[in-house]
Amino acid sequence: MRAHRDVFIEELFSQAKKDASIVLISVDMGAPALDKWRQELPDQFVAAGISEQNAVNFASGLAASGKKPYVYMMACWVARCFEQIRYSCAMPNNQITILGNGVGLGYAPAGPAHEPTEDLCYMRAIEGIEIFSPSSEMQVKEIAKNTFTSTALRYVRLERSLAARLSTRKHSPDSSGIEVIEVLKGDGRFKISILASGYILDRAIDLAQQINQETGYSIQVIDVWKIKPLDLRVFENFIKSESSLISIEEQARDGAFGSAILEAVSDLNLSLPTLRLSLNTAFAFENGSREELLDRYGLSISSMIDRSLEFIEKVR
Amino acid sequence: MTLEEKAKSTRRELIKFKTGTGFGHLASSLSVVDILISLYYDEKTWFKHESDQLIWGKAHGGPAVYPILADLGYFPKSELEKYCKVGGILRLHPDKSIPGCNFVGGSLGNALGFAAGLAFSNKLSRFVVILGDAELYEGAIWESLILINHYQLNNLFIIVDRNGLGILGETEKLLKLEPLADKFRGFGFNVLVEDGHDFIKLRACLSKLPNEPTVLIANTIKSKGVEFMEGKPEYHTIIPRDPSEIKKMLEGLQ
Repeated sequence: MRAHRDVFIEELFSQAKKDASIVLISVDMGAPALDKWRQELPDQFVAAGISEQNAVNFASGLAASGKKPYVYMMACWVARCFEQIRYSCAMPNNQITILGNGVGLGYAPAGPAHEPTEDLCYMRAIEGIEIFSPSSEMQVKEIAKNTFTSTALRYVRLERSLAARLSTRKHSPDSSGIEVIEVLKGDGRFKISILASGYILDRAIDLAQQINQETGYSIQVIDVWKIKPLDLRVFENFIKSESSLISIEEQARDGAFGSAILEAVSDLNLSLPTLRLSLNTAFAFENGSREELLDRYGLSISSMIDRSLEFIEKVR
Repeated sequence: MTLEEKAKSTRRELIKFKTGTGFGHLASSLSVVDILISLYYDEKTWFKHESDQLIWGKAHGGPAVYPILADLGYFPKSELEKYCKVGGILRLHPDKSIPGCNFVGGSLGNALGFAAGLAFSNKLSRFVVILGDAELYEGAIWESLILINHYQLNNLFIIVDRNGLGILGETEKLLKLEPLADKFRGFGFNVLVEDGHDFIKLRACLSKLPNEPTVLIANTIKSKGVEFMEGKPEYHTIIPRDPSEIKKMLEGLQ
C-alpha cells in the first residue's frame, strides 16, 4: 500500500517533467515522492512555509498567469485559507488544485485541531469547486490524471491511513465518481444502498454484510468518491429502485456527506428514507487510534448496526 | 494638463460619481489619487498602464482609478455616472470584470500574495500593489512579504497608502503600526518613505526601476482635497450628499 499523497505526487511528478506549467506549492509538507521532485524540478517547486493563506493567494496568481498550481497542505488547514479559496480562487475563477492530506480522523491521535471533521461541509459551499474523496490508489491516479487534462478549482481529500482492501483494489474508477463496489443479494422485498467514500467505506462494507445477514435484504455499497459535483444521472440510476439509503461519513453530522446525499435525493424528486451515520462530535478530545476513535464517536460497527436495524424497522 | 490639474479633475469626477450614489469610500479613494496620477500620467515614472498591472489591496479606495481609466479610454466616461447603479460596469470595489482592473476587490490582505504569483510567473512584467496602511494588520500580508523577499520578486512594487487612519481612528492610537519602515526593512525590503501628494517626490521614487523588492510608504491624508473632510476618520463610510456640501467640495478643486 502506498500513501495517497505519494501516489498523487508521483503521478504529478511524471506529468510535471513534461509540463513546465505545473508548480507544486508545499505548505511545509514533505513526502518521499517529493524529495526527487525538489531535486529534479526545483523551478516547479515552491516552499511557501507554514502560510496557507499566502500559499493559496500565491497559487491564485500563478493560475491567473496560466500555470497549473497544486497546493499541498494538511487537510485540517484548508479551513484556515477558506477565505483565500473563496475570494482569490473561486470568485475570479483562478483554478488551483488543493491537496489536503489526512482527512477525517486520519491524524489521530494528534487531536481535533489536526482532524478535519467539517471540511466537506465548508468546502461544499465553494461555488464551482470539485471535491474528491478517494479510497483506492487507482482512484487517486485517476483524479491526478483528470487534473492534467482539464482545469477546475479542485479539493482532493487524501487519506493518511489506508484501509487495505480498498486501497489496493484493482478497478477502473468510473469517471462519474460514483461506483457500486459491493452487491449483496437478498430477497428483494426491501433494498438498501449504503453510501460512503474514503477510509470509512471499509466499515460501510462490514455494515452491509452484517445487515444483509441479519435481515436478508438486498444491499449495495456505493462509493461516492466525487462528492461535488455529484453526478445526478448516475446517482439516480443506482438508487431509483432502492427502498432506503444509509450514508456513512467520518465527518460531523451536518452539512457534509450525508447532507449532499439528501440534497441529491431531493433534487431528483425522489422520496427515499435516508439514515445519516456520522461522527457524533466534530472534536474528539481523546487518545486513540483512528479505529478506536471511530468506535468511540458514533461509528462502531455494532452501533451502526443497531441504528440501521432500528431505522429499517421504522421505514420498511 | 499638468499633473496637479489632472489630480484636481480626477478628484472632481470621483466626488461627482461618489456623491451621485453615496456608495463606497470616498475618503479612502481621495487619499490615493495623487499616487495614481503619478503612475498613470507622469511619463517619467516607469509604470506603463498598457503593459504593467495595478493590483488593489485596499480596493475600497480603488474607484479613484475609474476617472483615470475612463480618461485613458478603457471604458466610456458615461460609465462614471452609472457607478454602483444597475446596468453600470463600475462597482464599489474594482475587479477584473472592469477594463483596466485586475483580480477581485473587497477582501483585504489577499492581493499581495496574488500579485506575488503573477510576478513569479511573469518576470518580464511589472506589478504594482496598493495596500492600505490599516490593511497591514492582515497577517497574510506578512506571509506574502516573506515569500516575495525570498524569491526576490523585483518586478513587484508595493505602495502603502499611509493615511494613518483605520475606521475607528488613528492607527497609532488604536494599534501601533510604527516603526513601519523598519518592519518592512526587517522583512528584507528596500523602503522608501515619501509624501504621497508631492508629484516631484513621487517621481523620484517611481522613476528608477528597483532592483530589489521595494515598498514605498506614501504618507497621505485621508480625504485629501476636501478640506472639511481631511484626516477625519468619521468620513470613512460617510459621503456628503447635501448639495451645498457637494458644491463646496467641487469649488475647492477648481
